[in-house]
Amino acid sequence: MKNFIQKLTLSLVLFLGTTAAAIAQGSVTGNVSDNEGSALIGASVLEKGTTNGTVTDLDGNFTITMNSFPATLEISYTGYETQSLEVTSGGNVSITLENSATQLDVVVVTGLASNIKRSNLANNVASISSKELTGVAVSNTTETALYGKASGTNIVASSGAPGGGISMKLRGTTSINGSSQPLFIIDGIFIDNSSIPAGLNIVSRAASGGSSSNQDNPSNRLADIDPNDIETIEILKGASAAAIYGNRAAGGVVIITTKKGKAGKTNINFGQSIGWTEMLNPLGVRQFTSENIANSSRFGNPTDIAAFEAAQAAGQLFNYEEELYGNKGLLSNTRLSMSGGNEKTQFFFGSTFKNEEGIVENTGYDKASLRLNVGHKINSWLDVDLTSNYVRSSADRGFFNNDNSGTTMGISFTSTPSWANLLPDENGNYPANPYGTSNFLETAAKVTNNETVNRFMGGAKLTAKLFTNDNSSLKAIVNTGFDTYNLYTLASFPNTVQFQRDGNGLNGVAVHGNSNVTRRNASAFLLYTNSMDNGLISRTQVGVTYDDYDRNSIISESFDFVNTLTNLDQGVNIGGTQFRQVSVNKGFFVQEELNYNDQIIATVGLRGDKSSLNGDPNKMFYYPKASLAVNLHEIIELPSTLSNFKLRTAYGQSSKTPEFLDKYSLYNQSAIGGLPAYTPSSLYGNPVITPERQTEIEFGADFGFLNNRLLLDATYYIKTVDDLILRAQVPSSSGYSVQVTNGASLENKGIELGLSANIIESDNLNWNARLSWWTNSALVTELSIPSYTTGGFADFLGNYRIKEGRSPTEIIGVIDDTALQDEDGLYVYGDAEPDWQMSWFNGLSFGDLEINWLLHWKQGGENINLSALLFDLNETTHDYDDTDLDPSGQLNNGDYRLSLLGTSTAPYIQDAGYIRLREIGAYYKLPVTLGDSGTLTLGVSGTNLINIFEYDSYDPEVSNFGSGGLSTGVEVTPFPSSKRVNFHIKANF
Amino acid sequence: MKKLNILFMFAIGLFLVSCEIEPISNPNDPAQGDVTQDASISELNALTSGIEDLLRSEVGFYYDVVSIVGRDYWFFTGSDPRYTGEILGKGESQLDNAGFYGNRPYAARYRTVKAVNLLTEALANTTAPLTDAEKSGYLGFAKTMQAYELHLALNLQYQNGIRVDVADPNALGDFVSYDEALSFIANLLNEANTDLGAAGDAFRFTLTSAFEGFNTPASFATFNRGIAARIALYQGDMSAASGYLAGSFMDMSNPLSGGPARYYANAAGDQANPLFRVPGNSDGIIAHPSWVAAVDPADARAAKIASREEISLDDLTGDHDVLVFGSLDDNVPFMTNEELILISAEANVGSDNSAAVAAIDAIRTANGLAAYGGGTSDSELMDEIAAQRQLSLFGLGHRWVDMRRWNRLDEVPLDRGDDDVWVQFPRPVSEN
Repeated sequence: MKNFIQKLTLSLVLFLGTTAAAIAQGSVTGNVSDNEGSALIGASVLEKGTTNGTVTDLDGNFTITMNSFPATLEISYTGYETQSLEVTSGGNVSITLENSATQLDVVVVTGLASNIKRSNLANNVASISSKELTGVAVSNTTETALYGKASGTNIVASSGAPGGGISMKLRGTTSINGSSQPLFIIDGIFIDNSSIPAGLNIVSRAASGGSSSNQDNPSNRLADIDPNDIETIEILKGASAAAIYGNRAAGGVVIITTKKGKAGKTNINFGQSIGWTEMLNPLGVRQFTSENIANSSRFGNPTDIAAFEAAQAAGQLFNYEEELYGNKGLLSNTRLSMSGGNEKTQFFFGSTFKNEEGIVENTGYDKASLRLNVGHKINSWLDVDLTSNYVRSSADRGFFNNDNSGTTMGISFTSTPSWANLLPDENGNYPANPYGTSNFLETAAKVTNNETVNRFMGGAKLTAKLFTNDNSSLKAIVNTGFDTYNLYTLASFPNTVQFQRDGNGLNGVAVHGNSNVTRRNASAFLLYTNSMDNGLISRTQVGVTYDDYDRNSIISESFDFVNTLTNLDQGVNIGGTQFRQVSVNKGFFVQEELNYNDQIIATVGLRGDKSSLNGDPNKMFYYPKASLAVNLHEIIELPSTLSNFKLRTAYGQSSKTPEFLDKYSLYNQSAIGGLPAYTPSSLYGNPVITPERQTEIEFGADFGFLNNRLLLDATYYIKTVDDLILRAQVPSSSGYSVQVTNGASLENKGIELGLSANIIESDNLNWNARLSWWTNSALVTELSIPSYTTGGFADFLGNYRIKEGRSPTEIIGVIDDTALQDEDGLYVYGDAEPDWQMSWFNGLSFGDLEINWLLHWKQGGENINLSALLFDLNETTHDYDDTDLDPSGQLNNGDYRLSLLGTSTAPYIQDAGYIRLREIGAYYKLPVTLGDSGTLTLGVSGTNLINIFEYDSYDPEVSNFGSGGLSTGVEVTPFPSSKRVNFHIKANF
Repeated sequence: MKKLNILFMFAIGLFLVSCEIEPISNPNDPAQGDVTQDASISELNALTSGIEDLLRSEVGFYYDVVSIVGRDYWFFTGSDPRYTGEILGKGESQLDNAGFYGNRPYAARYRTVKAVNLLTEALANTTAPLTDAEKSGYLGFAKTMQAYELHLALNLQYQNGIRVDVADPNALGDFVSYDEALSFIANLLNEANTDLGAAGDAFRFTLTSAFEGFNTPASFATFNRGIAARIALYQGDMSAASGYLAGSFMDMSNPLSGGPARYYANAAGDQANPLFRVPGNSDGIIAHPSWVAAVDPADARAAKIASREEISLDDLTGDHDVLVFGSLDDNVPFMTNEELILISAEANVGSDNSAAVAAIDAIRTANGLAAYGGGTSDSELMDEIAAQRQLSLFGLGHRWVDMRRWNRLDEVPLDRGDDDVWVQFPRPVSEN
């Protein structure tokens, strides 16, 4: 077979070759270098309008046999301006490529099997380079490195705890009941981004009050990925760009490409950064006086007044905000990477060791990540790319967020006045907190809430050139990915803490969680390219995809301890739960792309998908796509200042499968007095549930001025989601509380604007900047059930409402003025969705000094701030005694807010907008040479150094309910956010 | 590697997609439909234990809110302001038809009702080797508990009425009035009693130790009759109440003996008593001062509270913890013998006042008080019965219901200027 194909190919080549030879003949040799004179290895050299091409060798040299003369040679290399060269006869040429000042020539990975040049792209795909991602400051995790760097994204941290926790939405909310989180793909591996709770509820009892949902606030597993390994990130924000991912793509797709080795000299990079982290926005604490205590309904009794006065006389008044959150955590990040190889095999090795303390004692984050990427040419027609990544991380996250037992540090802190003495005695014994169920300083010292991950991600991509001739080629691309990890969580509450000792609580609790998660994916594609004489290139791809998911979580609880060990056996009572989740998806994809001389690029495609998560696992759902990009500057004469002008439009569909449990009505298994028991679950499953279907259309125009020194892009999109799956409330007399149903539609509309400019370009001084502005507004267009409130604790405490004709993220509350009440008797106080966001990235280099910074402005968007409520109820709010709220001037702020409780939710629904200096970094390349040509760079960087917001808490970015679902932006005493400063040294050999 | 192999891999890929996806049944829990189709005996027994389990579900909320509204006690907690706010009608606040305090205990009662309906269906379909008597045993137990749960839901909803026909979740019956609902419950109890009578000597299933003494068809029927007596009292049908008491587990000679209860155990995998809170904490159940004032320190029932350091929250101040339940392992009774004796007293007022006094005295002397020495007019006896019920049934969800049926809600003591005592909880928003 091989011989046959080779013979066939050979005869075709010979045939076409002789035909070409009849017209003209000759080869062009040449050398490609950058503007510093270094050879560019692997640059692509192409005879324009054909598939005839080659790449440069280790010295930057190439030889190409031309089909005809005159012809245009197109020389391109990632990160450099593509150059065209007219050749009329064979001979020698020398080409110098300029550093790409613009992003237009960058190749964008948008598909399962194909790439496209940005200048030919019909979608506004956000690309983030490694320099933007990690070149400015050291971020905590990959997701925090994304902040403000891509238009159309809304990223909200759910916890300031070490190890992160984040919610990311692309172009608005796309699901009401499920998650709107995007799919993350690293080098073709579908990675798992679950948040798996640690089982803290046994102590916090957070789910036993107004909300029965989990409030453990675990980190999400994207946190494991080391941002330093990343070369580029591409963000497909909706179905029009991501339709090829079918039912995995409703939240958009984030395609991460890690660094690869290049043939040539082995390059070694070593970096060490060291710094500190501290509380981002201390609020202060209430300043108590004998007078305000006497007027207090909580403290105004003789015992408390005497206690205060005694403490004041002894100089024993404490600022517990400082005691609890005042730790200056040490940050250390060590990085060693290496890359190199020869023409046949290239490798990249990256390793990171990170050790970060949190702003609360005994919290912190430890991570070791090792990556090895190998590319190998097996023979002339077969390449293989292998990626592997091992990560071990350990996060000590403290005990925060909502509870119904007074045990979390945050809740306990709100209830404690400054005169309570919580400090340990000389023997290290902590006193009981007279004003709360727990002594939070003791909790910080003794309680453990740890997540430890061992994770391996591996992928292989096989590219086979099955057939090539001058005008056409057929490639097969087989891609497999494998992501598996073990998450071990330990939540331990020793029997010596206030809320476990002396018969309080459970006499010591240890909760051990063990989750094994495996996600696998595979795809196989055929890619056929055909160039026609008239300049039309057609690319046809057809392929199949497969992915599956398996999670097995076991949580064991042990309580009644004699000692302070955490071993399960040491507790007298041991119990456990297990949760398994499995799913399988299969699909196919066909696409045809037509490119006419880079003038007009049109694409049509169709994805088909079936999934075990759907009611009928074997029903195929189809998702079409189509797009058109027109490069007008290639077609018509434009004013010379307008160097690039593209109009584009794209349409596509994708979907989100139902959640795992949506189709089942189940019995829960429990036990009573040792007898096994079946109790019907309150979820009324739906055996005919179908996916949520998303349809997106976007229109845009891209402009380049002054040889593309100034680039402007504008995009408008409409994204609708139909068949939204609801957990519709059913009459509780049915015995069920919610029924799963496809019963709503919503629509997102938005605008994205981008402006990038090389403001100053000179030998010594360079200044480039990118300004992005984006906005999204959403509307529930159809709702088959009555409007309902969800996501919070209760309407009078602020809640989200799903209502036809309204935003799905609007926040409602109560109001006593009946004239202002809407038909539900409620009042809209805000919306979690920001009005707009803007980011401004600046890169300034002056000789060997480089300064970069990123400003991020989020305008509007509200939070439900229940920390403030808890402080008020406990009369410990920092501004309790101020008097700038009550219009009548009678009441102080605390009393005023409380007087409105139940009649107006206004005080606790607050503007969560901000302006931040997200990142700033300054680096100086020392005028020394290490070895032959090594460099040494020193730097200093900061994250979140400037924060301007009105929101009355530590940070407007919070989410008590974690990253899933709708209700990001509910605050109940979270782990506060922090700012970071780092000093860097980097060596490059 | 040969190009052929690549094509072969493609063929495998195509095969992978073209073949069917096997339906995945939930690996975690059994499906309701599967069990209903053909249940084994162990599954049927798991369903009855499930009913026993669900009887506990959210019942802590039920007793707390009913006791708070009836001013048996307050719940002081920094975690949720509604316990001292809406539930007490503080200021202008109103009960919320989406509030957890009214809705979660209500919904949980209907989960039991659902579990009973699923068991009934499973019994009709099962091919397991069961005798008709054994099937009657399952039904008698299940229907009694269904009636009991409906009456708790009705206590919350009162004149709003409730749904009683809820077998088909896609076609729920209409709401029926309070009186109709009581009749339905009374009939269901009688039906269950008939089933119990045909159930032979023993149940095929096992009940927990909380049903000690009530775990055979005959002894369980005495509990069924006790509940029937309570319902008759609510209906104002005193002669029916007296009649049912005769078949109940009432024991005048041993007034403080217990009755069947919900099982609790502070053990992993089981449920701890939700009504016990460690005394002395800042989060705690604080006895209402009116109850503290009402109980004579010599009364054995004074042990249901314990004095503590004064504590204030939300302009309320108290100095006694509630100790109706002494630990996380305590069972929570459905009904006590004390209640049956007090029903007997009340049922006799107006027809046989000396029998009423005898019943009152049984309670008084058993609790260490002197025999009743007050007037024996109907109204004086009713006052005494009200006082005894307040003391004997403290924290067990009766005071509010009693004061309401006696039209005496205006006598419930209020603590702050604008507080209210609610007549009923709003119909849950899901039912609208």
